[in-house]
Amino acid sequence: MDMKLRKAMYRNIKARKFQFGGAICLLFLSVMLYVALSMAITTLEERNEQFKEAYNQESFHFQTADTLSADQLREWEKRYDLELESRRYHDLNVDGDKTLRLFSVTDTINQPYFSKGSAPESAGEIAISSGFADQNGFELGDSLTIEGHTYTISGTVYLPDYVYMLEQETDLISQTGSFGIAVTPDATFQHTGGDASQQVLGHYPGTRDLASFKSDVNAVSAILKFLEQADNPRIQYVESEIKGAQSTMTALPLFILVLSIIMVLMLMKRRIQMQRTEIGTLMALGFRRGELFRHYLGYAWFVGLSGAGLGLGVGASLSIPITNMYGEFFNLPRISSFDWDPLVVILGFIVPLGLMIGASAIIIWKPLREQPLDLLRPAEISTAKTSWLEALPFFKHGSFRRRFRLRLLVRSKGRSGFIILGVMFSSILLLFGLMTSNAMDSLVDRTYKKTQTYDYAVHYRGLQNDSTSHSQSPYTLAEASVTRVNDRAVEDIEPDLYGIEAETPYLHLLPQGNQVGNGFIISAPLAAMLGSDEGDELTLTNAQNNEKLTANVIGVADIFIGEHIYYNRNSVNEFLGYPSDGYTAAWQDTQPRDDEAVYQVKSSEEIIAGFESASGPTRYATIGVAAFAVFIGVIVLSLLTNLIVEEHSASISLFKVMGFHNQEIARLVLHVYTPIVIIGYCLSLPVAGWIVNQIMKLLVEETGFLLPTQITWWMAGGGGVMILITYGCSLAFSKRKLNQVSLQEALNSRQD
Amino acid sequence: MPIQFTDVNKSYMSGEVPVHALKDVSFHIPDESIVVILGPSGSGKSTLMNVAGGIDQPDTGRIEINKHHLDVLNTRQLTDFRRRFAGFIFQQYNLIPTLTVKENVEVGRELSDHPLAMDDILEKVGMLDKQDKFPYQLSGGEQQRTAIARAVIKNPAFLLCDEPTGALDEATGKQILALLKYVNEQHKTTVMIITHNIGIGDMAHKVLKMKSGEIIETLEHAEPLDPKRVSWT
Ligand SMILES: Nc1ncnc2c1ncn2[C@@H]1O[C@H](COP(=O)(O)OP(=O)(O)O)[C@@H](O)[C@H]1O
Ligand SMILES: [Mg+2]
Repeated sequence: MDMKLRKAMYRNIKARKFQFGGAICLLFLSVMLYVALSMAITTLEERNEQFKEAYNQESFHFQTADTLSADQLREWEKRYDLELESRRYHDLNVDGDKTLRLFSVTDTINQPYFSKGSAPESAGEIAISSGFADQNGFELGDSLTIEGHTYTISGTVYLPDYVYMLEQETDLISQTGSFGIAVTPDATFQHTGGDASQQVLGHYPGTRDLASFKSDVNAVSAILKFLEQADNPRIQYVESEIKGAQSTMTALPLFILVLSIIMVLMLMKRRIQMQRTEIGTLMALGFRRGELFRHYLGYAWFVGLSGAGLGLGVGASLSIPITNMYGEFFNLPRISSFDWDPLVVILGFIVPLGLMIGASAIIIWKPLREQPLDLLRPAEISTAKTSWLEALPFFKHGSFRRRFRLRLLVRSKGRSGFIILGVMFSSILLLFGLMTSNAMDSLVDRTYKKTQTYDYAVHYRGLQNDSTSHSQSPYTLAEASVTRVNDRAVEDIEPDLYGIEAETPYLHLLPQGNQVGNGFIISAPLAAMLGSDEGDELTLTNAQNNEKLTANVIGVADIFIGEHIYYNRNSVNEFLGYPSDGYTAAWQDTQPRDDEAVYQVKSSEEIIAGFESASGPTRYATIGVAAFAVFIGVIVLSLLTNLIVEEHSASISLFKVMGFHNQEIARLVLHVYTPIVIIGYCLSLPVAGWIVNQIMKLLVEETGFLLPTQITWWMAGGGGVMILITYGCSLAFSKRKLNQVSLQEALNSRQD
Repeated sequence: MPIQFTDVNKSYMSGEVPVHALKDVSFHIPDESIVVILGPSGSGKSTLMNVAGGIDQPDTGRIEINKHHLDVLNTRQLTDFRRRFAGFIFQQYNLIPTLTVKENVEVGRELSDHPLAMDDILEKVGMLDKQDKFPYQLSGGEQQRTAIARAVIKNPAFLLCDEPTGALDEATGKQILALLKYVNEQHKTTVMIITHNIGIGDMAHKVLKMKSGEIIETLEHAEPLDPKRVSWT
């Protein structure tokens, strides 16, 4: 007997392929997304951890004015219970605009991992980072002549302190093509003239206060730079990326899961309603409640197992290419390629399956508690139940069409709610895609083309006070700590402080001009990080001499990359203890000549190009998100309208028999939901704006740039059109179903 | 509206086996008459009504209703035919559950260019005081009277009733039949009534008896009986 029931279930599912298929599809997408992303992140995390451990990633590194001897390091190692190792490095200029940083091979700290070829053995042999090699067409065995010396590539290499390949620690974005690393035996440096610098790598387990160590080092030779792991973006970036991804990767799938479960519950409820008499008959025949319960739960098992099972399988295999994509972004060797985390299986498979079964059980159990006689009595079907809303005067007027539609809406408020939910979900994703991709253009345009209009920023080695040429605009740049906003103490916010000339032609900070005599002007990312705006009072502290500088923020500039504070040069120089005519850098339009005094030149064209190339993948991702949004929207709306057609098929058939044309019936039954879709979309506009802004604010702390996201009229309009097209597609699907409703149904129907 | 069937055939596939639901059916019904189709269950009565009302089409043969050749119309034209000329009444009433009595009747009025007055019809079928009730709040007879009002308000030339009293008791059933007779006389409507209740034949101008898809007997009554007086089986 049970076999027969099971057969009935499969037949039922087959007859409603579309509805069950849609529910399975939603569940599948949810599980797949979750599994693929979390497995990829787990693998990434695992690789990072293993690389760190097995190749002894540094705890800190520092550089001193004089070269430190090996004996000195041994002595400190003993005194402070640390491992220390000296490493030499030298930047090679490749093809004029690219940098290859050459390191000596270390034995204990930051050990190199050779992925292809072999370790460089003799002087002149190098192992090179694979991204740089790939992008510049270098292959194993190639000989490169750089700065007059020949280097032979023996292999490719990964270094534990160059996971995120930044040339400067202050850079925001890695540019694999124009910056790379290589390792070579110490002998190479003697061979090539020895103009290499020394840095000392340190390692210790756990955490430590290094203050006394630092002062000890300082006593021997002045520390030029001391960078601890926690402040090293080349190491930290991957870790904050992992943390960030872990929260986003659960939110999206969870929401799709909820949509899918609601869908299944609606289908189940509908089945049970239609089969009340069947349940009654079976119970009267002597079936036990438990047997029927298991039978109806079979639907949930079917959807749950196939959706979650497929999702798990596809998700797991998709995680491999996703991991590799991350792998190109972060330089982590493929120590492991597929890290199996049982928690992912539990969260990605057992939890959605459990939720689906549990929620269905509740729905099914309700009618099963009734007496068979009550079930056999012709049911007062849900569509006939009046809603309290119908007492409103609003319902008393107009033609039967109007009232038919209104009742359709209010008698199944759940449906309307679900449509709003689905439409909002799709719209928010869609708007997110539109806003992000627009924001990237807007960021470059506003930051570089409208606000910072210089072509070159020239940074000098030390403080300058010669008069500049008239086409140059001098400024003082230093790092400062913001310690107070109004009366609130803040920590760990160290923006770049610019002391500028108010009349510089290279900056257009505020519409009324660069009025830095009146107060601070800050960049948008800094404003977001501080949570402050015009009128707030900021206090900066100079770490060297504890000098304080306090002023009000007079405006937030349209600068979306970097944490900057602009103030007048005199005050900044005074704050830093510089002479009043001193400056450390200058903006200009002409390419600077090679000069001993010049430490570094940043060209805004290169920065823009770098940003564009680095943001390419993000753009594709946003297009993907938008397409995904539309897809989910089509599924949700199609399922719903399809269900509505099925529920009302008796009325639809009757309308047909009476002589209504299909188009008229579609208007009566299906188009009801048009206003609901529009309401859903309108609600999603402010919500999307809010969510996206929150996300951007979270991102700013990790990335240092703030995407200027805004919903413009064209986005609101374009998004609306997309959602309406989506809705139109699902209507078209359901109209086909409506057209297929046969006239016979009204003729031999039981009332439904 | 006169109706002419000529050699009409219709069969259904029932699994592998074809079921001949109508076999060479030919008959004529004069305008403004009541015709009753009698026969046991499965004899093809409903099939006959469906093809006569433009709900279904015959496999072969010709159906001419008031100069319209139903057998050659396409789906859209059939819909228009039903819309303009036909009214249907079913054994199971088939009211729209989410509409009140009055609104259900409005659905029919909507379809007509020359509808009858709503209140007159509701009054005539005796549903005026229940016009704001929903179908589930009504008895079977009341639902059927609503269905009649819905079919009649569009003032159709042709009223097709498939077992209209099949679910009703004798007293209620006779009220319904009287109503159909009234419609026939008042509005010059041709009324086709399908039933297995032999007594009802006595109220018809013409009776077609069916068996296994064939018309086995035709009767004509010059003086049909008043519905109140027909025998009820
Ligand atoms: N849609 C259909 N599919 C298959 N067989 C049908 C269909 N409709 C009717 N039949 C068959 O045609 C024959 C006549 O049916 P019908 O006209 O409904 O009879 P009646 O109304 O006299 O009871 C029956 O044998 C029935 O089983
Ligand atoms: Mg029948």
